[in-house]
Amino acid sequence: MHNNFLIALFVFLISLSQYSCVSNNKSKRIIVASSGKIESLDPARASTLKSLQLLSSLGDTLYELNSEGELIPELASGMPIFSKDKLQIIINLKENVLFHDGTLFNSNAIKFSFDRFKRIGTMNYILGNKIKSIETPSEYKVIINLNKPSSSVNGLLTSINLTPVSPTYYKDYSDKFLNDKFVGTGKYILKRFSNEIQIIDPNLNYWGDKTNNEGISFIGYSNSSSLFGALKSKQIDVLLSNSIDDIQRNNLNLLSINKEIKEGKSPATEISFISLRTNSYPLNNLNVRLAIAKSLNRDFISEKVSYGLRQPSRSLVPPIYKKNKEELWPKYDPLEAKVLLQKEGYCNGNVLDFPLTYRSNVPADKLIALSWQEQIKNILNECINIKLNGVESTTIYKNLNLGIYTAVILDWTGAYSDPEAYLTPLLSCSEIDGKNCKKGESVYSGSFWGSNTVEDLFLDSENLNGKERLAKLIEIEKIASESIPYIPIWISSQKAWSQNEISKPIFNGAGIILMSDLKFINE
Amino acid sequence: MSRDLNKLLNYSLLKISLIPLMLWIISTLVFILLRVAPGDPVDAILGSGANEASREILRYKLGLNESLLSQYLSYINNILHLNFGESLSTQEPVLDIILKSLPASVELGIFSIFFAIFIGFPLGFFGLKNKGKKGDYIARVIGISSYAIPPFWGAILAQLIFSVYLRIFPIGGRFPITYSQPKITGFLVLDSLLNNNLIYLRESLYHLALPSITLGFLLSGIFSRSLRINLDKTLKSDYVNSALCRGISRRKIILNHSLPNALLPIVTISGLTIASLAGGALLFEVTFSWPGIALRLHEAISQRDYTVVQGIVIITSLLIVSLNLFVDILIAILDPRIEY
Repeated sequence: MHNNFLIALFVFLISLSQYSCVSNNKSKRIIVASSGKIESLDPARASTLKSLQLLSSLGDTLYELNSEGELIPELASGMPIFSKDKLQIIINLKENVLFHDGTLFNSNAIKFSFDRFKRIGTMNYILGNKIKSIETPSEYKVIINLNKPSSSVNGLLTSINLTPVSPTYYKDYSDKFLNDKFVGTGKYILKRFSNEIQIIDPNLNYWGDKTNNEGISFIGYSNSSSLFGALKSKQIDVLLSNSIDDIQRNNLNLLSINKEIKEGKSPATEISFISLRTNSYPLNNLNVRLAIAKSLNRDFISEKVSYGLRQPSRSLVPPIYKKNKEELWPKYDPLEAKVLLQKEGYCNGNVLDFPLTYRSNVPADKLIALSWQEQIKNILNECINIKLNGVESTTIYKNLNLGIYTAVILDWTGAYSDPEAYLTPLLSCSEIDGKNCKKGESVYSGSFWGSNTVEDLFLDSENLNGKERLAKLIEIEKIASESIPYIPIWISSQKAWSQNEISKPIFNGAGIILMSDLKFINE
Repeated sequence: MSRDLNKLLNYSLLKISLIPLMLWIISTLVFILLRVAPGDPVDAILGSGANEASREILRYKLGLNESLLSQYLSYINNILHLNFGESLSTQEPVLDIILKSLPASVELGIFSIFFAIFIGFPLGFFGLKNKGKKGDYIARVIGISSYAIPPFWGAILAQLIFSVYLRIFPIGGRFPITYSQPKITGFLVLDSLLNNNLIYLRESLYHLALPSITLGFLLSGIFSRSLRINLDKTLKSDYVNSALCRGISRRKIILNHSLPNALLPIVTISGLTIASLAGGALLFEVTFSWPGIALRLHEAISQRDYTVVQGIVIITSLLIVSLNLFVDILIAILDPRIEY
């Protein structure tokens, strides 16, 4: 009796294993998995990497950044032309481009999409007060009128949030979001949408190069282990996630080194840093901030937390936007840190209590905090005592401007591809009292640091272009690196992994995978 | 008989009359707790990069600039009109969100309970049959272990063994990505049957298998242990001894006399298990990427999507309270010792 049961169970398991999930994907459709789900496909609302990734396949922007960080026209027919007073940008558009609903793409579509984003866009603050209005002098020419000269508008023109949508299709949605549909001009058209699964097919009427695959199916898993397991068990073709745990990231890296999978990497655009509250004790003292900055061993932390996969950084601006690898922040120097602290009366029996807050729902942040605490215990035990405090990220964002946190670990990815998208949100200030910021972006980043010189340089940079503008922005960073309102930790890349039968994922300069390039290799 | 029926009706009405009060307390508590928790949807939507003006505009758009009392009154008024509002982050009606995700959780719950009974009862019988022997100890170890295993760990372990290493089951999700799922009731197994589509049925059962068997196994210990203990207790009763003396077979005694009595406490336990299932489902749905109401609640909490959290908590509470009411009435009918 028992034997029969065991035999039946064995046969059942064998039959199940024959019905393996691996062999299900018989089509040429590529399955791409990432974490979480997509709430909205509306470019005015999209903010997650996943939704931006999908939108970039379904729509085109006026320009895009290549992997060298250069501006490449997409829906524009040439580079933007600035008027002499730099208050107007003239953009000529490509002709004979069709939206997925068959209507013609023209200057009205650009005006409609930009105005719509300005009106209802969740992240419309990225436009700030830069764009005054949009004129459409002819069907294929737009003029962007600016409130003041702004060279960073170039970067904004690559923003996926400003992807043109069909005015005809979005007629009833000019003042509200359309979450589950998208009609743009992109290489793919949306076939099916649910929060968890999205299916896109090649756009047969696309104006540019055709896709290398017969469509993409996107699936969202709710945790890092599932994503890792799905790739390892070959249930998915490509894994794209910036939220995968470091231990699994390391395993995937090892698999790619062993040529079991392929790994694609974007230019590094996400910075992790520690925000220091500079307007009150103890970090209102520059020497203390400098000592703390010099006590941070980035290589050690990168090795401990990310197995060396995240690139230690002493800069707030990613190298791709600075066009160089110059790092301005102080190097790790524990001896110098000790001297500075002694100079301020610490160490000899007087230990500096340093409260460090981290986002408890971000595993890497907790590991950074713990590693740094251990490192300090080993080398500066008699001078600094790091007290850790884990708080959920939403709570931290709420409390940052209240000055509750002495030091807090955060990260940032610019909303558009420009150094300004990193410097302004961290360093600009609209109301400065001495060296303290009373009102402005640096308050919302928790540093409360302000500098009139920096504000002047920001204004100057708006009137400049190219190398001159970049030099001004680097000067801003240099001033910040001497005042240390923040301590950069590392800079991260987006990564994607594919099965060996699929081509290696390639990213553009904005950290987006070019889905149309993905293909089955042995075709 | 009719006097008993009247009494039962009164008892039921009394229990039912308490439901609105319980729901009002729960909905008020949820409202307060969400507002007391630091952070609001604006922070969750905009992160740390947005400026003050953008935050204020969004706060105004979401109606969060109004006083708490005004928000509360409008919230209660809307609930009374069965209007749960719109999601703060997606503007999708909360009722639609619930109706989309609830069937997935209910389906998982039903199948899990089925597997819990399917595994638990035979294990309980097996233990009792081998009372004091090796088999009893094995059944006891399995039973106790099943409810001692933390659900999240059990789920991850099952996923790792059966999906990643053995590659027998899919890693997560409810339906194959390549098929468009049938949409009639939201219960995929039922919808596949209604569509008369055996491939859909196979696929939905295939995706349901691992999470429901795992959750069922983790719940089975409660059933096996309580059946084993209660059946053992009833078998020692005088009426069983007298039945044995009359020459009635042991099998008949167990099935016709002992088991119905032993099942009474299990019905009570089932009610409690369903309530605990709501909590356990959260961890399961997150691990198996199961698009159910618990996963939606988890996301809504992290986004501080007040309206969605409120709606889900109220509907879930209503379901649990109703099920417990049903269990209470059922026990009152089945157990003559209960006075009402």
